[in-house]
Amino acid sequence: MDSRIILGAIIVLALVLAPAVLSPALVNAGIQMLIASLFACAFSLLCGQAGMLSFGHSAFFGVGAFATVHAMNAVGGAGLLPTPFMPLVGAVTGLLVGLVAGWFATKRTGVYFAMITLAIGELLYSLAPHLGGWFGGEAGVSTMRMPAFGLSFGSNVQVYYLTLAWVLLCLGLLYLFTRTPLGRVALGLRENTRRLRFLGYNVHMASVLVFAVSTMFAGVAGALQAINIESANYVLFNLDLSAEVLLNSYIGGVTFFLGPAIGAALMTFFGYVVSDLTTSWLLYKGLLFVAVMLFVPRGIAGLVQTVAASVRRCGFGALAASFVLHGVAAALLACGTVFSVEMLQRIFSQDYLSLARLGGKAWPAISLFGESWRPLAAATWLVPLVLFAIGLLVLREAMRRWRAAIEAATRGSDEANDPAVASGAST
Amino acid sequence: MNAQSALSLRGVRKSFGSIDIINGVDLDLVPGERHALIGPNGAGKSTLFHLISGQLGLSAGEVFLGNQKISGLPPDRVNHLGLARSFQITNVFPGLSVFENLRLAVMRQHGLQYVFWQSIARRTQVTRETRELLERLRLANRASTLASELSYSEQRSLEIGMALASRPQVVLLDEPMAGMSREETDYAVDLIRDITRGKTLFIVEHDMDVVFGLSDRISVLVYGRIVATGTPDEIRSNPVVKEAYLGEETA
Repeated sequence: MDSRIILGAIIVLALVLAPAVLSPALVNAGIQMLIASLFACAFSLLCGQAGMLSFGHSAFFGVGAFATVHAMNAVGGAGLLPTPFMPLVGAVTGLLVGLVAGWFATKRTGVYFAMITLAIGELLYSLAPHLGGWFGGEAGVSTMRMPAFGLSFGSNVQVYYLTLAWVLLCLGLLYLFTRTPLGRVALGLRENTRRLRFLGYNVHMASVLVFAVSTMFAGVAGALQAINIESANYVLFNLDLSAEVLLNSYIGGVTFFLGPAIGAALMTFFGYVVSDLTTSWLLYKGLLFVAVMLFVPRGIAGLVQTVAASVRRCGFGALAASFVLHGVAAALLACGTVFSVEMLQRIFSQDYLSLARLGGKAWPAISLFGESWRPLAAATWLVPLVLFAIGLLVLREAMRRWRAAIEAATRGSDEANDPAVASGAST
Repeated sequence: MNAQSALSLRGVRKSFGSIDIINGVDLDLVPGERHALIGPNGAGKSTLFHLISGQLGLSAGEVFLGNQKISGLPPDRVNHLGLARSFQITNVFPGLSVFENLRLAVMRQHGLQYVFWQSIARRTQVTRETRELLERLRLANRASTLASELSYSEQRSLEIGMALASRPQVVLLDEPMAGMSREETDYAVDLIRDITRGKTLFIVEHDMDVVFGLSDRISVLVYGRIVATGTPDEIRSNPVVKEAYLGEETA
């Protein structure tokens, strides 16, 4: 427990100090990561803890963002509240809209619940462009951050600290919520609503409240986004955002409290870095998601937990070689994938077609990673094949060593425990 | 209706389409008695429990808990008025710890349904009652085990314990011993006798040793009708019962 608090303190300290060493662009990315983390945690309260998979959570993010933009523009541009308190507008809007939407959505469970939330999200997405007064049509609504309490909020460092403060506050509140009676009932909703009903709980009312708590924090995330980019557009209601929060949460580990935050932060950063490097960045995101779901279905947090448990049992030394081999295998497989994807992307691109037509040659060479590759040469495709082959071999060896270490530790502990088991059985 | 009854059924009927499952059941449970409901398979015993506990709606008739009419109320209201039930198929929170399972059951009695402004750990009374219940169920050493990882009979104990956590006046147990070994059954009978003391117990059970050993009175349900109600001795010697039910087994 103590080590967890220390780890948490280190992370918070790092987040506080980060703007001092980061470039403005990275500070911006940091703001996006923080907002995505909060949104993912709000979503996972509903999806991971209460077992209600929402496909339309961007609706509440968007509603929070629009309400905040309007609040910032209110009173002739002076704003309804001082800028640092603006996320409260998102919270209240998210809560109220969530209570109404949740009342309908939680009448059903499982797939039907998911479909209703999807419908609510799509409804807003298709209505918003037509409601010019509220959502500003296709252009959206823009605003300006007003100075407050001697802070100008002109630089993105100040916005970063505003966002950080709100995200930490909200994550703290979300964590405390899990310790409350209603937070415990949420777990019961996930596990067995029938039993809950026969214990005397009003399942519908409890579901609505958990739903509204989740949408309230989604609204805060939307408000922070509005403050950050000083505008809101109807594309916020797009299914993309609903899907992204879902993918981020599952990649991070939806049933762990901080898993979704980790997943969202990493994936946002991944998007930020990779989208500059390649046009296929969405494909990489998708591949990552599929890989996580296939090989570590409990997400990054689940992987960390499993690895930590293994390290405790076997000791780090016994697993060190396997760790290194896993790393090497992952790097080789990633290189093979990247090479194949980039190569194919270039071959099938419009540019390549034009190049072939202009040059008069059917298959001109492609330059990639500082080399020139002929698309029909066997040597070109041997590169990814060899990478995959070596990668898989290394992976097999890594897994073999892992199993061996675990087995050795199990045998050891069995022998150590044997007398204890025998005496336990005799009493 | 009888003012002294803990639970009272008046002309209860249930049909699914054109098929009548329950054909007019009248029954009064005396406060504090242990009453068993027996009958051949398909007689409608579980259906009757579903009707009383609010899981199914009645086609006709009324059910009273004390003086309070409970027919037509949803399960959570019925539970809140003082009637709890266990299920034939274990129905717990599989992914939560044993402690958490029982705490959820205890919590509701303290009016903690929608509370989100206070930590559950600060309600020491809830924690204490949960620990007491763990002790009585003899599950104290399994408190942090996931319910899904318990042995079958432990799960059955948990199931019964969750029904009792709400401090009901009337408890419905639906085949609590189903699938248990001889020793587990003896143990469970002890447990039920112990923790239902002072409450009215209505139990469906197929194990006749349990039924005749545990109950004060027995009712026999055949084809949706109660053909006899009486003490174990009366039931044993009742010719209608012998013919309709016991006869099949002793023959």
